[in-house]
Amino acid sequence: MNPWLHGALYGVVLLAVLMTIVAWATWFERKFAGRMQSRMGPTIVGWAGLLQPISDAFKLLQKEDIVPARADKTLFNLAPPLTLFFALAVAAVVPFSPGLLASDMDVGVLYILALSGLTVFPIWTAGWASNNKYALLGGMRAVAQGISYEIPLLMAAAVPIVLAGTMSLGGIVEFQVQHGWLIWWPPGPGLFAFIIFLLAALAEGNRIPFDIPEAESELVSGPSTEYTGIKFGLFYLGEYVHTMISGAVMSALFFGGWDGPFAPGLHWMVFKTLFFFVVLLWMRWSLVRYRPDQLMAICWKYLVPASLVVLLWAAVTVVGGPA
Amino acid sequence: MLQIAFGVVAAALLFSAFKVVTTRNLVHGVLWLGLTLATTAAAFVLLKATFLAAMQLLLYTGGVLTLMLFGIMLTARVEGVEVPVESDNRGRAALLAVGVFAVFAWTILNTPMPTAPGAAFSAQAIGASFLTDHLLAFEVLSLLLLAAMVGAIVLARTGDHAPPAGHRPGRRVLPARGTKGDPS
Repeated sequence: MNPWLHGALYGVVLLAVLMTIVAWATWFERKFAGRMQSRMGPTIVGWAGLLQPISDAFKLLQKEDIVPARADKTLFNLAPPLTLFFALAVAAVVPFSPGLLASDMDVGVLYILALSGLTVFPIWTAGWASNNKYALLGGMRAVAQGISYEIPLLMAAAVPIVLAGTMSLGGIVEFQVQHGWLIWWPPGPGLFAFIIFLLAALAEGNRIPFDIPEAESELVSGPSTEYTGIKFGLFYLGEYVHTMISGAVMSALFFGGWDGPFAPGLHWMVFKTLFFFVVLLWMRWSLVRYRPDQLMAICWKYLVPASLVVLLWAAVTVVGGPA
Repeated sequence: MLQIAFGVVAAALLFSAFKVVTTRNLVHGVLWLGLTLATTAAAFVLLKATFLAAMQLLLYTGGVLTLMLFGIMLTARVEGVEVPVESDNRGRAALLAVGVFAVFAWTILNTPMPTAPGAAFSAQAIGASFLTDHLLAFEVLSLLLLAAMVGAIVLARTGDHAPPAGHRPGRRVLPARGTKGDPS
């Protein structure tokens, strides 16, 4: 098929599927959080509240669209769609099953890391354009956090690259299909790299316990303070898509991607992605937020040196070890 | 199709580069620069140099832009959303730009270039040549970066004793160091 047409079609289908999953992921998160806190979660709209996401979408669309009087209007309006754009753009290189991906770039992992590094710009832009002190502080925190955690994220993602000898996500999954999942084979570096990657990805996605950019108790709602209606909805959506894609990237890098018995590859990939999504939710509703200085200490004092050691370990394993 | 795509990307690149130098708002300038760097990466992709494109996004669009934002936020007096650019040497800057452009254009037009994309652009080839043919240049670069880092730390240390000009308490975004009990 014409590659341009293939790209366009794939994009539309992926967008539709992802948006549907994300919509009911919000329902699932509310139910999940409810059960964890001995509540019911949504119950009114539809059976067991299953139509709640649709009702929420209409509610957000109906809300008045407010732009603060002294805000930078262009950037203020540009920031929410850009957030969603960067989150979605990562999906282009995620392989869902053999052959089912938009583009098997030879530097897929680098592309993902580069884009996830860019996600802080729309957030910062939102904070700055709002002309609001809380929003600006949140934006600056997001940038500081993003640039710090980018380093352990890169180092941790370099471990599968070194072990598999390729930067293509599809290639890394193929390697795992043949040699076993990188999380446990070769024993050691993969597991530690995954832990570092998980923590850094949480911080990069501004998720609890690292959600200091929008710490409700101190910054109202951080960069999204001034946003209303569907623009706020886009931020929310962007965060969910980012979390979902993080889960997909983790399964592809460390957990064999589409590899699994009994079921087609696509089923395994979706199952693993949703599993990591649930793990991230679980952490979100179990943990408390760190202070900014603790956040920086975790990154620079522990994760960065640890990631260097793990990367060295992986290199030694490849040169002279069991793999 | 590829030509059309390249034309669109090149037009966006030129337009955003033009906006970088003409916009009066410093923050807008930085964000336009981000678009310039990102479209450069897109041009690299269309020329099948994907490794260069990823590096361009990772280091320039991601890294350099972040540092510039930090630069603005920590030095400018941020009042509202306007951070105006004042420059009184536009003439000299234009002269310099034309000069640099002439040098680059002359060099590019007079250097024979391989037209077929291939192994020379792959990550493996670049990595191997860094550690064999260009080892000295690679190490010198590392030394330069180390010097820059030491310099930055030295400059930052003086801030412990005397606050820099334009410093206002309460504007600090992050605690200077991870002191326990820092309420921020």
